[in-house]
Amino acid sequence: MKLIERTSRTYLWLSIVIFIVSAGMLIFVLTTVMNNRLDEQLRYSKEVISKRIKYGYPLTIFEEPRELNEAEQKKYPNDTIIFKDTLILRNIEGEGVDEFEKYRQLTAYETLHDARYKIVARNSLVRNQDFIWVIVLSSFIIILLLLIGLWILNTQISKKLWHPFYTNIDRLKNFSVQDQEAIELENSNIDEFKELNNSIQNLTQKLQSDFSSLKEFSENASHEMQTPLAIMQSKIELLLQSDNINKEQSEQLQSIYQAGKRLSKLNKTLLLLAKVENQQYSTKEEVSFLNLIEKQLENYEDFILNKNITVNKNLSDHIISTNTILADTLISNLLSNAIKHNINDGIISIIYTEEQLIFSNTGEPLKGNPEDLFNRFKKQSTRKDSLGLGLAIIKQICDVNQWQLNYYCEDKLHTLSVSFGNEIHSEEN
Amino acid sequence: MKILIVEDEVELLDSMASYLKNEDFICEKATSFFDAEDKIVSFKYDIIILDITLPDGSGIDLLKLVKEQSSKTGVLIVSAKDSLDDKLKGLDLGADDYITKPFHLAELNSRINSLIRRRNFDGDEFIEFNEIRVDPSSKEVTVHGKPVELTKKEFNLLLYFITNKNKVLTKESIAEHLWGDDIEMADSYDFIYTHMGNLRKKINKLGGNNYLQTMYGLGYKFTDTLK
Repeated sequence: MKLIERTSRTYLWLSIVIFIVSAGMLIFVLTTVMNNRLDEQLRYSKEVISKRIKYGYPLTIFEEPRELNEAEQKKYPNDTIIFKDTLILRNIEGEGVDEFEKYRQLTAYETLHDARYKIVARNSLVRNQDFIWVIVLSSFIIILLLLIGLWILNTQISKKLWHPFYTNIDRLKNFSVQDQEAIELENSNIDEFKELNNSIQNLTQKLQSDFSSLKEFSENASHEMQTPLAIMQSKIELLLQSDNINKEQSEQLQSIYQAGKRLSKLNKTLLLLAKVENQQYSTKEEVSFLNLIEKQLENYEDFILNKNITVNKNLSDHIISTNTILADTLISNLLSNAIKHNINDGIISIIYTEEQLIFSNTGEPLKGNPEDLFNRFKKQSTRKDSLGLGLAIIKQICDVNQWQLNYYCEDKLHTLSVSFGNEIHSEEN
Repeated sequence: MKILIVEDEVELLDSMASYLKNEDFICEKATSFFDAEDKIVSFKYDIIILDITLPDGSGIDLLKLVKEQSSKTGVLIVSAKDSLDDKLKGLDLGADDYITKPFHLAELNSRINSLIRRRNFDGDEFIEFNEIRVDPSSKEVTVHGKPVELTKKEFNLLLYFITNKNKVLTKESIAEHLWGDDIEMADSYDFIYTHMGNLRKKINKLGGNNYLQTMYGLGYKFTDTLK
């Protein structure tokens, strides 16, 4: 729920409650005041009637006079005045329908010229009630108009006031710690927003500087490691040249050498990942995937023949604008992955179209969660020659190119597909 | 052949020099920018092995100086920074090859030899080892004057061995030389064995000797001296 909706809703409920209470009070006050006035009028009418009786003036009487009965005589002493509201059946002229109408009625018992009189005076309440309803209705309309006006004003103002807020939210959504520039936020003259912007700006700057120093550190650490590794490797290679090492020594040397190689390979791969992540391979060229695939197939020929793998190709000659080194690394990793996890006498099928690059291979069923597949150091096999970084590199390369990478398994056929989206310049020869 | 090695890590410098010294190379060493600058201006070298990151300057500037002095000098850049920028910049400025740390000494030697061959492309540059004769430009091999049909991998293997003759070559170094350094497969060592078996058979068939020696499963050595 939006803030404006929330506040508007509160306003609306409050207005409804206030309206109901004030309408009730209005009705009560108006009724009391009008009844008082009406009672005054009725009293006056009674005075007029009793004066007329007293002085023998003729009366305009609506009902036939009748004798007061005993009970009434006894019940009401002289000078009793009773007010009450009463309903009286009345024939409304012109409409021919009998209808009850509310009347205010005054009943007075008086002794005039030694005779007891009961004087009844009535006045219709209908007009008063109509009047009250008109007032209540008009106040309702006024409140309604006020609410509508306020709501329109509110949404307009809040649209304007919140505009920088929403723009900044969008910018924050697109913010990445890898961005080189600091985040630029739209200014607002509202203090709260200003404060928020300042906090965000400080936070993102801190994030960016932390991230870049971390990046710098890991890259430098990797670089610095290469030299001691190179020294180690070269010294062992020199040592191997000496003629007087025995079998046992040579085996130990081999272990050291292989561990060193493994470390340096790991280091190189992590460095590659870091560089891809840091967008250091951003120069784009026109790359022919067809040529790259053929080249890598030739390079891996021995491995394919060794497992007696059949390679099915369906390659188009589309040109893609991307980084050559990355494209080469991608295909090399895809192919080596398809070979490594293949079975003897298996199949690799490579499909390359305008939209997609698909590598499928036969293989053992996947152990573990397919979603972990692209994570670093998640290994299927416990093979010594596998660093568990191949798929992470593939994923990273796809990510920087904004390509979609998918894995699925059907009929024992493991498939990795790369969808290029709109990156392709169609160029068919 | 006179080689200047510019490298600030003394240990690595010594390794490179001692490996290359056994070949027909005269190696000189420079451990700093200043030192290297002095030597480049004073003497003439056939090959300069150049580390890009030196404590008192950039190897790139030295490269410019080398090219001003003598355009015939071959330059091989060595760097811990596998960065594309350095590589492109180096090659743009006239460097002939680029190798990243850590590298195999045999690979370095092989690169230097191929650089020398490319520098003096007189056409009649052959590499000979007793009865075996290799023509790197046409990729032809003869044994006792008779041609041998070799696959691309077998040819590369033979050339690598002959260039690094009398040296123990590790399986890792051979695998990287043949398939590139991003190969991550244990099987490759079996293939080396297979390729070597084929190579040996083909050479033996034409009356060639068996020069390949196995070193305790650690690597191989191409030599005509007996164990």
